[in-house]
Parts: sequence; structure tokens; C-alpha cells
Amino acid sequence: MMPPRRLIAVIDDDESVRHSLPNSLSQFGFAARVFSSAMEFLASDAVVESSCLILDVKMPEMSGPDLQQELKRRRRALLIIFITASADEDVRQPLLKRGAVECLFKPFTETALCEALDAALKTRRH
Amino acid sequence: MISYPDANADVSLNRALPVALASLESIVRTEELRTRPRRPVEYGKETAALAALVKALADSPRTILQTLTDKILEVLQSDSAGLSLLTKDEKSFYWPAVSGVWKPHLRGCAPRDFSPCGDVLDRGAPMFFRHTELRYPYFWSALELPAEVLLVPFYLNGKTVGTVWAVNHDDSHQFDGEDLRLLESMARFASAAYQAVESIEELRSEVTAREEAERGLRELTGTLEAQVRARTEQLRLSEAFLAQAQHLSRTGSYSWRVATNEITWSKQLYRIYELDPSVPVTLELIRSRTHPEDLPSFYDAIDRTRTGAHHYEYERRLKMPDNSLKYIHVVAHGALDKEGRLEYIGAVQDVTERRLSEQALDMARSELTRMARVTSLGALTASIAHEVNQPLLGIVTNASTCLRMLAADPPNIEGAQETAQFLLSDGHRAADVIKHLRSLFSKSSTTMELLDLSEATQEVVTLSLNELQRNRAIVLTACDQELPPVLGDRVQLQQVILNLLLNASEAMKGIDDRPRQVLIRTYLDEDENVRLTVQDAGVGLEPSEMERLFESFYTTKSDGMGIGLSISRSIIERHHGCIWAAPNSRGPGATFSFAIPPAAEDAMNSLDPDALRPCTAAAASAGNL
Repeated sequence: MMPPRRLIAVIDDDESVRHSLPNSLSQFGFAARVFSSAMEFLASDAVVESSCLILDVKMPEMSGPDLQQELKRRRRALLIIFITASADEDVRQPLLKRGAVECLFKPFTETALCEALDAALKTRRH
Repeated sequence: MISYPDANADVSLNRALPVALASLESIVRTEELRTRPRRPVEYGKETAALAALVKALADSPRTILQTLTDKILEVLQSDSAGLSLLTKDEKSFYWPAVSGVWKPHLRGCAPRDFSPCGDVLDRGAPMFFRHTELRYPYFWSALELPAEVLLVPFYLNGKTVGTVWAVNHDDSHQFDGEDLRLLESMARFASAAYQAVESIEELRSEVTAREEAERGLRELTGTLEAQVRARTEQLRLSEAFLAQAQHLSRTGSYSWRVATNEITWSKQLYRIYELDPSVPVTLELIRSRTHPEDLPSFYDAIDRTRTGAHHYEYERRLKMPDNSLKYIHVVAHGALDKEGRLEYIGAVQDVTERRLSEQALDMARSELTRMARVTSLGALTASIAHEVNQPLLGIVTNASTCLRMLAADPPNIEGAQETAQFLLSDGHRAADVIKHLRSLFSKSSTTMELLDLSEATQEVVTLSLNELQRNRAIVLTACDQELPPVLGDRVQLQQVILNLLLNASEAMKGIDDRPRQVLIRTYLDEDENVRLTVQDAGVGLEPSEMERLFESFYTTKSDGMGIGLSISRSIIERHHGCIWAAPNSRGPGATFSFAIPPAAEDAMNSLDPDALRPCTAAAASAGNL
């Protein structure tokens, strides 16, 4: 029997990203669920089942960093890989300081994403 | 009036001779004179003599004393006659007037204390001597010896100051009592005359003084007149200056007597209002030139003016008969004159050009703001980075997925097709972003006009100076003022220039070991193209970068998008020109250049002459005023 695949939650308001990333993730052996907003994610059981989040920084209503804060408040220590279309180190560094595993600038390669996921999952053993 | 000579003059009789001197009594014969038979009183002669003296007094007062002795000689028919006056030191007598035989002794001298004259003074009365040489030996040296000498005192102001005398040198004619009476009479008259002459002299000196004063006054008047003439000339000049100054500063002046509505205008004010200076100015006339929209304020100002003396400063528009507009700046000051009448004095300056250029500047500024907003890569990055990167991520990942699906065994054709759809739409999204950007950069319609690139460059430099100075960049310009015009879109070309300028400034941001200097040049290059170069002292370029610099999304900056130069290239190419970059041949930094061909001759001819400068915002805005 195959071990259960680790669940990765992709949270991005961009449909194109939501369509393309799960395909890549399953290629690397992950299960993926997509959410178009932070609220949608929080309302789902993925909050407890996900191993890692691929989280967009800039989203309407609740932004990526807002969700990071909210999860911290709920003591849900999820691994987070931020992705952002704004190539700005001034945004990236504070996110890393607050515990994010990585912050990738869009567009990034599958390889870069894979390396980030490896790094993330190494930090926590199941 | 009488000068006293030196007592040792040559003609002096004051020389002693070695002879035994007779006593005074032995020579004085006054009593004998009185007892001599007396000839009849000769009033006629006396009157004639006195008349002559009066005439002399009137005609030539300076010679009155000489006239006196002449008349004595004549009336008494003596041989000699004379006048002796005490010198100032009262030590001797001086003979200021002598007539007859002794005339050569004129201005001679005799001692005060040893002379017949002295004896007369001592006694204070007339005396008659015979042969005075017997007691007073100096008479021996006289031209002729005196046989008889008749002397009477000569008074001035009640004081005896001398004697008047007559001398007969032989006994052929002897003095009698009538001679004494005549001599006394004439001496009295002479005293009076002498005093009169002195008064006249005083008067004369007074007159002279007055004449002097008058002459001084005349000179003063002359000077004053000259000064008045000079001042008048100065005034005329300053009026001319004023007129010129009014003309140059486009400032006219006016005065307005409020009660009588008497209005006086300077020539320049007539010129500003474009009115004939011969036309009397009325409020109605002024109203007729006032812009309709400014009439309420015009009436309001007049109403307030009538309430008293105020100080005003306001701006108003005039509407000329040809519907052109003028802006005037008015400063007026009200005051009451001596009679308590209210009068306003005012200055009116034509500030039309200033207003128009301010409006043009405002428009240019807002135009620049628009340009800056569009070209400022910082703002641009923030607003569009997200929009471009988003589809790019989709393209990258979907392309990978697509490839994988096709490579699978069996290939997932359906999945690949679906993924390719996303790929396609992401591609369109990215293209839309670029399309949107391009439309931001170009106005809805491009306006091609003949323009002077140097002038366009100067405008950009002027308006972006603040921004450049904030980066501590020093901008040097070397613009050829004789460039042939180019046919182009002014705003787009200025966007390119601004982009190059801001890039140059950006490239020097971290430079602190050398001046952050930007040199902008415009010139006609060797290919007869109009060229602009922007040379900075910044970080410079790698040779490998040269090719890619003008590609979209290629950037050497950490926060750059790589859009500015690619758009610049498309603008320059639209102008049939080319744009390139090169490292500076000497020193650090890079030089960005573009060159565009000058407008063809026929382009100039085919354009409406007005189109030669439609670019100036001033002209455009003036039409809308």
C-alpha cells in the first residue's frame, strides 16, 4: 500500500496558478488542494490536514501574511512557502523572519518549487 | 576818501633852516586885517562859488576839496589857496588840495605843533599872518614865500581837523575883512560838503554793496535759473525715462478725481487698453474694455472707491475689440488732497504674458506629472509587476505540465490541450499588460509636428530638475540652438528624454567618489541626423548587457521592470530613428543616445505655418481663455 501522500494547500486568487501548480505538485508526489482565498482555506478541513501551504502574498480581503498571523494565533504551526508577483526583498525578508520556509518570486521554475518543498519538509519529520 | 601819505615825502616842507625864529606875535596880524578898509560885500561871487561847489558836489564829489581851493583862489583873487588836514596820528598836517602858485606843494606836509595851521587849531579861530617864514623857516623852501597868509579853521562834526587858507605872495594885493568872511563861509560850506561827500561815499559804498548784493543776487538768480533749467531737463529726462520704463514694464499709471470723475491716463495705459490717447477717459470706456465676467468686481470696486480713501490691489481681465484677452494687475491708492477731495493714483501693469506663461508652465507641469507617473519605474513596477508576473508563472508551470502530459505513455492529449488553453490565455494576459502599458505611454492619438529637439530637451531638463537634484545629480546641457527641426510627437520624445535622464540619475545613486554628473547634448551628427546623448557617471554597463538593454523586461536594476528602455526604443523607431547605449570611452558611466532624421523639406512646406509651434502650451491655452 502506498503511504498517504502529503497534502499541500495552494492558496492563490489567480486561477491560472490554481490550475497549473497542483499538476506540478502531483508530479513530485504530493497531493494538492487549491483555495481561491484565505477565508476559504480557513473554513476547510485542510487547515488541520495540510502539511504545507503554498501561499500567495497579495490577495483581496485576507492577505498571505494575514493568514500567517491568524494561523499563529490559532497555534496551527503550518509550514508556509510564500509566492509573490512582486519581486521585492523588502517584502520577502520580514516574511522569512516571521517563520516562512521560503518566499518565491513569480515566475519561478518547478525545480525552485521542488527545492523549497524539500527544504520545508526536511524541517519537520513525520 | 583822503589818503594820508608818508610824512617823509619829498615835497615835505618840514626841513629846519639855521635862522633865528621870530615870535608868533610878531607875525600874527589878525587885528590889523579887521581894521583894513573893507571892500563891498561880494554876495554874487560868494553865491556863484557856493553854487559851483554844490555842482562839484553833485558831479564829482571826490574832487570837492580841489574845487573848494580853486574857488577860493578865484573868489579871493589870492595867489595860492589850500586845505590842510590833520593826519590820523595828529602829528602833522597834510595838504589834500592846493591851488594857485603853491599847487606843486599838493600833498605836502607841515608839523602840527609848529605851523600857522597848528596855531589856528590852538586858538580855534581864524588867523592872519604876514611872512610866516620868519617864524616857520621851512617856508623858505616853498616855491614862493608867503607875504600874507589868511587861515580859518576847518571843522568836521564839531571838531577842528584842519584849516582852509589863502596866500598872497606879494603885497600887490592885500587881504581884507571881506576875504575873511568869504573864506569862513566857503570853509563852513566845505565842512558841510565834506561830510556830505563822506555820507555820499558811505552811500556809494552802500550802493556798491547793494549793487554787489544785486550782482550776487543776479548770479544767484542765474544759478537758480540754470538749476531750474537743469531740473527741468532732468524732469523731462525722468519723464522720458518714466515713459520708457512704463513702456518696458508694460505699466501705465492713472489719476482719478472721484467727485468729478476726472480721469488722467499715462500714454502707456492708453497703449494697454489699446485706446487713442486723444479720447477722454471715462468709466464707461473702461467698462467697455473690461471682461464681462469681471464686471461685477469692476462695479464693486467703483462702489467701494467712492466710500473713501483705500488701498487696492487686484487683477482683472480685459477683453479687446478683437476678442483677445489681457490680464492687468492694478495697484491703486486713494488720498484726500488739500481741499479734501478724494483722488486715486494707480498703476496698471499688463501681466498677460506672465499669466499665459504661468498657465503654460502649469500645463507643462501637469504634462510632466503625467509623464513622470507613466515613466517612473518605481511606480510602474508596483502597479504592473503583479499583472505581468502572474501570467508568467502560469505560462512557466503550465508549459512544464503540458510537456509532461505529452511525454507520458500514453500521452495525456486531453490534459495537454486543457493546459495549453491556460497557457494561451496566460500569454494573452501578458500581452494585454504590455498593450495597456503602451497605451499609457502614447496619447490617444499621436500628434506629429515640427519641433526643435533642443528646445524639447531644455523643457524636460527644466521641469525635471527638482527630481534630479533630489538624487544630487548635476545636469549639464550642451544643446545646439541651430538644429534642423524634426517631425515627431513632442510628448513621446520628451518621455524618452525623461526616461534616459531618470535612468542616468538612477545609475549614479550609489556613486559618492565622483560628481554625479549628467551631460545632455543635442547636435547634428555625422550622418546629418539629429542626435541626443545622455552621458552619466554611474555604475556603467557590461558589454554583454548592451544587446539586451532595450528588450522588454530586461533590467539591470534591483527594482526595475525593464520597460522604460523598450518603450523608448519603440518610440524612437516610430520616429525612424535608432537608440543605443555604450560604456563611456573615458571614465566610468554610460552614454545613451538616440538619433532621428531631420524633417524632410517638403514636410516643412506641407505643414500649416501655425503648426510649427502648436506644441507650446501657451498658444494652446491662450485660445481657450
